[in-house]
Formats: sequence, C-alpha cells, structure tokens
Amino acid sequence: MDKQYLIDFETEVKEIYEAGDIKAPVHLSGGNEDQLIQIFEKIDKDDWVFCSWRNHYHALLHGIPRDTLMDMIVRGKSMSVYSDKPKFYSSSIVGGILPIALGTAMSIKMKEEKNKVWCFIGDMTFETGIFYETYKYSRNFGLPLEFVVEDNGLSTNTPTEETWGGKQQVPADVFYYQYERMYPHHGTGNWVLF
Amino acid sequence: MKYKEELVRSMEALARYENTVFVGQSVKHSGNAIYNTLKTIPDIIPHGEDKLIEVPVFEEMQMGMCTGMAMNGIVPICCFPRFDFILRCMDALVNHLDKMQHMTEGTFKPKVIMRTSIGAKNPLDGGIQHTQDYTDPIMRMLYEVNVVSLNEPEQIFPAYEEAYKTECSTLLIEWGDYYNEK
Repeated sequence: MDKQYLIDFETEVKEIYEAGDIKAPVHLSGGNEDQLIQIFEKIDKDDWVFCSWRNHYHALLHGIPRDTLMDMIVRGKSMSVYSDKPKFYSSSIVGGILPIALGTAMSIKMKEEKNKVWCFIGDMTFETGIFYETYKYSRNFGLPLEFVVEDNGLSTNTPTEETWGGKQQVPADVFYYQYERMYPHHGTGNWVLF
Repeated sequence: MKYKEELVRSMEALARYENTVFVGQSVKHSGNAIYNTLKTIPDIIPHGEDKLIEVPVFEEMQMGMCTGMAMNGIVPICCFPRFDFILRCMDALVNHLDKMQHMTEGTFKPKVIMRTSIGAKNPLDGGIQHTQDYTDPIMRMLYEVNVVSLNEPEQIFPAYEEAYKTECSTLLIEWGDYYNEK
C-alpha cells in the first residue's frame, strides 16, 4: 500500500461526503502518509491498534479491507472504526483509549501472548494526565504497549502549545512525528448541503 | 447465610473461573470492606494471589484497564470500595465500556463485573463524600451495562453468577451497612 493509495481513498470519501451521502462527521487523514507507512511496517498483523477519530489511514494500513472501511464510513462510522480481525478499535473521546489499550496490553502479558498493542494519540492527548498514568504504569510493569504521538499542533482547532504554555519532552521510547493537517478537523472544508 | 458470607461465597465462586481477576484498591492489601470478601481467595485456589491485582488510586485508569482486558477475554471483577469513587471513572464507564457494543455493532462485548458499595453510616458515618447512593442517575446513563442493587443476602450469589454468565457488563451495588446488619 503506497502513499497515493491512501490519498485516493480519502479523496473518494471526500467526494461522497460532499455529495451529501454521509450523514455523520468524517475526519479525513492527510499529510502524514509517509510517517504512517513507516510506522506500520513495524506493526504485526496480530497486534492491536487503538486510535482516535482520525483513523482511516490507520485502518487501511492495519489491514481492514478497503470496501469494509468505506462501507463503515458511508454508514456514519468514521469516528468509531473497529475490527476484530485485524484487531482495531477507535474512540472519539480524547484520552479515552489509553487505559483501554493498557488493559489489553495487561491481558496479553497475563495470557503470555506474543503480540503487542499500539496506541496512537494526538499531541493534545499526549499532554494530558491520563497519558502519563498510562505510560508510567505500562513501563513500570513491562507491558507490550507502544505509543505513537501524532503531532499536528491542534486539538480540533485549539493549539496545544499555546493552551498548555509549552510542550512536554517526548520520552525516547515513544514514537513521535509532526505533520500539517491537510483537511479540517472534520468535514472537507467545503460547504455541503445535506 | 448472611450478607457478607454470601459475598465471600460469590467471590470464591468467581475466583474459580480461570479467566477472572480482581482489580482495585484493597483487593490484595487490607483497607476496606471489599478486602474482607476477597481475602480467602489465595487459600482456595492454586496461585490465587495472582488473581488479585492491587492498583493505584486511579479510577478512570482502572475502569479503562478492565475494559481493555475484557476485550481480550479476561473477566475482571473491578472493585470500587464506595459508590462515590465511581464518579472518578465516568468517561471510561459511560462513554466507553457502556457504548462499545453499539459502537462496534456487537463485535466487541467486553464483560466487566463491577462491584461497589454504598458507604456505611453505622457504626461510623462516612460523611457526605463517602455514603452516596447514585443508583438511579447511573441507571439512566447506562444503556449496555446492567445495574443490580443487592438488597438482600439471597440475591447476592445468583446475581454474581448471572453477571459472569451474561454477555454484557454488570454493575452490582452493595450496601456497606448490610455487611454487619443482615
């Protein structure tokens, strides 16, 4: 799966949305194709992936079939894409997936399974207390949980650095990348008549 | 049997299932009434102490952790010593655990058994932050989680048995005063 495949997918979602055929918010990905392709090379097909409302690229890269994903999005489930095989869960509440991902990592250790949990969060979530609780607990107990911080500087349109008065240093064992959002927080930036 | 004895019997029965764990504050170390219903577990099954996961005071984390474990086949008994403390985990409970079946169209059905207790007022009154009964408001907020009030001793064992056997999560509400009174 290459960069153009991802971009084309979101372009198709954009067109369907602008035709008024999706009756729910869509959160389009864009601008982070190279970074995500690189990160997903490290993620095994049996690993769990937890992420947020902007999840279409993650879903495709983790192996959710294109048609399955498109069907979900058209049915209004862009914000909560899920899959049992491959394991994939997303939530639209800032920080909400972190302790859930931690619990799944605990269960993997208890059951002596070989897979891992990957938890994708935004830069605002990274600054919250629940990230630090999750990070600290997972590292203290040696849990198979990897964090990826996707920093576009914004949460909805609230600037993370301005509102926190700065940013925390990202720990060395946390994956981190910066990118500029290609689409608005939700929608396409164009007027749509539903 | 009396109220507390029924709780001990129920917890011992849950502990015998291979996929259960008990998560919370004072599940392994003494400190509250719930501990007194769990302390026989290390003695009744091999490696029973491994089933008791004492966690920090971080209710939202605890609730989310139990949800994540349940997504992968563990059945956590998630213990909150007082109902008042559940307010600290409402996002994980109301927005996540309770909405997961709907959000995933039945794909993920995490089964978490939550225990809490309405704080006792006798012989010591725990005060307004430790004795509230939020049963009615929480029932109105939860769609997928069953809520069960344990008012009589004879309800207790069947209710916990049903909580294990059912496909969804259950919040069971005990009465701290009944540990001594009934």
